[in-house]
Amino acid sequence: MDDAATPAAASDDQLREEVAAWLKANWDPSMRDNRHAWVTKVVEARWAAPRWPVEWYGRGLSNEQGRIVEREFARVGAPGTGQDRTQLYANTLLARGTPALKEKLIGPILKGEITMCLLYSEPGAGSDLAGIRTRAERVGDHYVVNGQKVWTSTAATADYGMLIARTNWDVPKHQGISFFFLPMKQAGVDVRPLRQITNESHFNEVFLTDAIAPVENLLGELGQGWSVLQTALAYERSVMGEGARGPRSGVAEASGEEPLIALAREAGVLANPLLRQDIARVIAYKRLNALNTARAKADLAQGTSSPVMSLGKLAMSRILHEEARLRTAILGAASLLEGPDHPRAEDANFLTLNAYFTSIGGGTDQIQRNIIGERVLGLPKEPEVDRDVPFREVRGG
Amino acid sequence: MATISAEERGALRDSVRRLLGDLGAEADVRRTMETDAGYDAELWRKLAEMGVAGLVVEEEYGGAGAGPLELELVMEEAGAALLCSPLLASGVLAAELLRALGDEAAKARLLPGVAAGTSIATVALTGDTGSWTPEGVAVTASQQDGSWRLDGEASYVIHGQNADILLVIANGGAQAFEVDPKAAGVTIEALPTFDHTLRLARVALAGAPGQLIHATEPVWAAVQQALDLALVALAGEQAGGARRCLDFTVDYAKSRIQFGRAIGSFQAIKHMASDLLLESESAISAARNAARALAEGAPDADAAISLAAFACAEAFSQTTATSIQMHGGIAFTWAHPAHLYLRRARADAQLFGAPAYHRERYLQQLGG
Repeated sequence: MDDAATPAAASDDQLREEVAAWLKANWDPSMRDNRHAWVTKVVEARWAAPRWPVEWYGRGLSNEQGRIVEREFARVGAPGTGQDRTQLYANTLLARGTPALKEKLIGPILKGEITMCLLYSEPGAGSDLAGIRTRAERVGDHYVVNGQKVWTSTAATADYGMLIARTNWDVPKHQGISFFFLPMKQAGVDVRPLRQITNESHFNEVFLTDAIAPVENLLGELGQGWSVLQTALAYERSVMGEGARGPRSGVAEASGEEPLIALAREAGVLANPLLRQDIARVIAYKRLNALNTARAKADLAQGTSSPVMSLGKLAMSRILHEEARLRTAILGAASLLEGPDHPRAEDANFLTLNAYFTSIGGGTDQIQRNIIGERVLGLPKEPEVDRDVPFREVRGG
Repeated sequence: MATISAEERGALRDSVRRLLGDLGAEADVRRTMETDAGYDAELWRKLAEMGVAGLVVEEEYGGAGAGPLELELVMEEAGAALLCSPLLASGVLAAELLRALGDEAAKARLLPGVAAGTSIATVALTGDTGSWTPEGVAVTASQQDGSWRLDGEASYVIHGQNADILLVIANGGAQAFEVDPKAAGVTIEALPTFDHTLRLARVALAGAPGQLIHATEPVWAAVQQALDLALVALAGEQAGGARRCLDFTVDYAKSRIQFGRAIGSFQAIKHMASDLLLESESAISAARNAARALAEGAPDADAAISLAAFACAEAFSQTTATSIQMHGGIAFTWAHPAHLYLRRARADAQLFGAPAYHRERYLQQLGG
């Protein structure tokens, strides 16, 4: 890309003024209608990923300075910045991609011209992700991929998928994995929607039959895919704790009251002392999680790491399951119904099922507890019977 | 209130931690809890020298002029070490009540001794119901020949048996009196406590003389202010106690070997520990948030305090209860400290109202 404009280091105030001035000169809300044109402008002005190095669309800003940019964009409601924090694919590519692949894809990803999906989990490798059995074999100047992936959202429209596949079966499981950017629009890639318990289909199964990935689409060295995956997962987890989907009916709480209190009032059960205890308990879970998150961010800003950071996902699982249970208790028999005429029941029933999206997806609560126990509390790992065994000899199923 | 920087606050916390490490270790706690007084005079004197006894007392009365933020941090250390002391009764509840009542003569007469730790004050409010509400007050006061006489009883009076000054709430929370514990008509009976590190007493008043403390606002508003600060202090104690209990439990899980491996490597134990980390860290967040809200006089301070009251109580209770289970047989012995923490957790969870009471208040404060 054009590297003529090397941004000068600036004080926080100067930076704030610079962003504000640029937005004033370039942004107006009508640009929301042409997102691509706007985001392209943001990328070219180096605001899309300002924490990144200058040679890759960035300005080399600190994390805090990046927040200043994000706050200025948020103030006027302009999208497009903060991708250095939230753009999983571009961050992974920047950290581990070959120069050729970076040159080809980083710009288009930031501009939203290329969309992507994740090809990690398999029917036989869920919590034990390192147990994948999709294989990639080198043939000439490309890899040939065979296997099956699952839980892939946006697979039908994606241009590339971040794929982990086994390239060596004679070493222990973590050592024989490689990480690829797999082109999705090819004959060897068959995407089939997966109907979820919520009756939605956000995810797909992806069948790979002699699918082709060029050699320059390998990220990291051959056999180092597990460490590339850790880089990618870290980006994914950092954005995941920040929120989950709420009720989908969109029935607004006009009063601005705490939604659970409003629901109980509407259902005529706000005086029920047992439900009152329950409502307070669930609201408290939410509030405590918000306080923990705020504390973690404050600790981080002061440069001290906080054990609270890792607890967000586990806390969110509990909040979602408990809130769904409570909504059902408040509604009582009304939760027997569904459909557009029964939006409160729809909410409670949807939330009940969708809570598993958080308590299973991205690492089950049980895996999460292992991670917290081991990485935060320093408890020893469980012995792993398959750890030092050539993968060829490891039991699957 | 004095302006205290984050560094000074951290330094205060560190000094308290060091002092409790030196004079308030488990053996000291065990020795102290078997004494009648239930606190170590030497440790109390050192805490007072450090400014802890008069932490929230204004500087003009010999206090440190600090506020909820400093108090909460000190109480985290007190909870972690299971400090046996009249701090909550005297330095928090009674001191704050005197400040809130605003009777300058009473403050000048009583607060310097409280701040110096040389006199111990406590608040006698609830009767045998244990309810810290106007309805819970079981003392009546009446004026005869220009002097006040008090009748009735107050129970669950913290460190009542050690008190030099009784602040007695009477007439349904409408009035507050200073009562000399040694006066005729005052009978103080020490109550046997499940938490041996706590001292409670029952005060019976039969025509006991009391000196009316004048109030610049309704007495109950002052009581509420003192209770709010006490709840913040208690939340800090609970959060600090929970975190310390989790720490020694995790340490044990790393060193205890069964089936040829550390028990902490078993997911059954690891998952319990992870859940407790969420509880104890949430307690710390809640306690510090309540302290901040109270210090700033934030509009949501009431709700923040109620939230901390039940969240910290339950986190401490759950952590200490689960800790015993995680330890196994060793923690079923008197010699192991886990039960001392469980006893403190169970006491703290009832002292100023049970978790269900604070949850109900929380819901009301949120508009429900």
